[in-house]
Amino acid sequence: MSRTSEEIVNAFVKAIVDGDEEAAAAAAREAVEAGLDAYELVTKNGGEAMTVVNKKYETKEYFVPEVLCAANALNAGVEVLTPHMKASTTAEPATVVLGVVEGDIHDIGKNLVKIMLSSAGFRVIDLGKDVPVQKMIDAVKQNNADVVGMSALMSTTMPVMKKVIGALEEVKLRDKVKVIVGGGPVTPEWAESIGADARPHDASAAVGVTKELVEKLRKERAGKQ
Amino acid sequence: MAEMTPRKRALLCMTGNKQRADRISCCDTLTTATVDQMNAAKAPFPEANRDPELMYRLAAAAWEVIGLEGFKLPFDLCVEAEALGCSINWGRIDRHPSVESHVFGDLKDLKIPENIVERGRFPLKYDVEARLRKNYGDYLPIVNQVTGPFTVAGHVFGIEKFCIWTKKRPQEEVKEALMQIAEMNIADCKQALRSGADLVCIADPSATSDILSPVFFRDVMVPVYQNMARKIGAPVVIHICGNTSAYLPYIGDTGFDAFSIDAQVDVAFAKQVVGKKIAIVGGVPTITALLFGTPAKVREFAVEAVKKGVDMLMPSCGIPPRTSTENFKALVDVARCLVYV
Repeated sequence: MSRTSEEIVNAFVKAIVDGDEEAAAAAAREAVEAGLDAYELVTKNGGEAMTVVNKKYETKEYFVPEVLCAANALNAGVEVLTPHMKASTTAEPATVVLGVVEGDIHDIGKNLVKIMLSSAGFRVIDLGKDVPVQKMIDAVKQNNADVVGMSALMSTTMPVMKKVIGALEEVKLRDKVKVIVGGGPVTPEWAESIGADARPHDASAAVGVTKELVEKLRKERAGKQ
Repeated sequence: MAEMTPRKRALLCMTGNKQRADRISCCDTLTTATVDQMNAAKAPFPEANRDPELMYRLAAAAWEVIGLEGFKLPFDLCVEAEALGCSINWGRIDRHPSVESHVFGDLKDLKIPENIVERGRFPLKYDVEARLRKNYGDYLPIVNQVTGPFTVAGHVFGIEKFCIWTKKRPQEEVKEALMQIAEMNIADCKQALRSGADLVCIADPSATSDILSPVFFRDVMVPVYQNMARKIGAPVVIHICGNTSAYLPYIGDTGFDAFSIDAQVDVAFAKQVVGKKIAIVGGVPTITALLFGTPAKVREFAVEAVKKGVDMLMPSCGIPPRTSTENFKALVDVARCLVYV
């Protein structure tokens, strides 16, 4: 006997929360066969699942390994569903440029933020790790980014964030883009002192913070016109 | 009464016996190299990580230029990964070397050659340690730094992959891989101790509780560390980056002598949780105080840390290369004029 749509959706969400790749892919295949909306399954249900994962991470029930497993499960599902997705009809998504600052190769945190933001519907341009200052500036320009997010996991590389913000000011882009910073040693005080707009306390908080900043930015832009 | 040398002082403080020292020690067991020291000693990065003469001069600069009461080698965390075959980005004057590629695709691919401590830059490290011992005698302590098992696992396998294995693979297999890496660390320490080093700092930054659960730390990392503590044969300080507060209930069970805490961990809280089981070292934030603060601010943090009961006064993490000599020296000044509270 085949499962109901609701059961398939629940199985998909559970597989992601449990970090079970095979189960997520299997539920996705079942969903395709049952004719469920692939786009909705990814953005809505996949998003819901990651929200549960975020919450567990926030309450320290989950740690980075569990979140990585969940993200892999989501990706396994997305891979199955992507060919079946109809084009999105939603509003133009905001663009976020992400990167780990020059000299730093620790990208777990940045990758988590990327997963969270992508599953929340943002267009994410991932520059990877050890990103030169100029490359970050170029990416902001070329992609007409709304938000730039940078992370540093070492106290020795944190100061580079200040350089990036300085460079944005130099090319007169600082007003056009919001800056979020993150990484183990990055404190809110430090973020404020270098003129960043926000320092979400972890990857899960990054979604809410980024949404707020984008809204603020769009209002500022509307105000100027 | 015998003279209280910086070496004796450091050994007393880091083993939790600061009351028997004349004052608190400021032997920095973490990365000490700054651009100022490189210029003063004419021993810049990246060359000083590979050239014996430059490495010697830069290690000595910790004492000669700043007044830190000990030497520490090497300056980077890539010696192990390099000897195991990873490629290294050598960085530049204000950038530490970093690991660029991983070498093992799976847990069972891990193979550590018998003669590992004869490979890569291991021998270079021992040569410089021997030379420091020869030239400075027993006056100052020499810290042999090793990159801890979890961090090396991240280097040789890739950290994300290894993190996922901690959930998907049988825990015994994960522990076994970490144990094998730990055996390499132990062999390294034994060779270093023969070459003149007095104490060991295990830097395991990736084992941070920003990444791992306290349960994994207790069930897997603690047994691995216990094995190291039993076999190394010298006082050991372990440094783990980030907010490690959740590890405090277990860190005393490792058998290590001292725990070096990052700026996110409160010294008083740490002391309260660990009691007399393990010394707590660190106390001066690298970013807010040492890199971007003033000497007055560094002194303020340092005095506060001493008041809170820190056992050895150190930066909270590896020193950012652009830290000014003036700020770094302020930490030393506080140690010199303060006993303990």
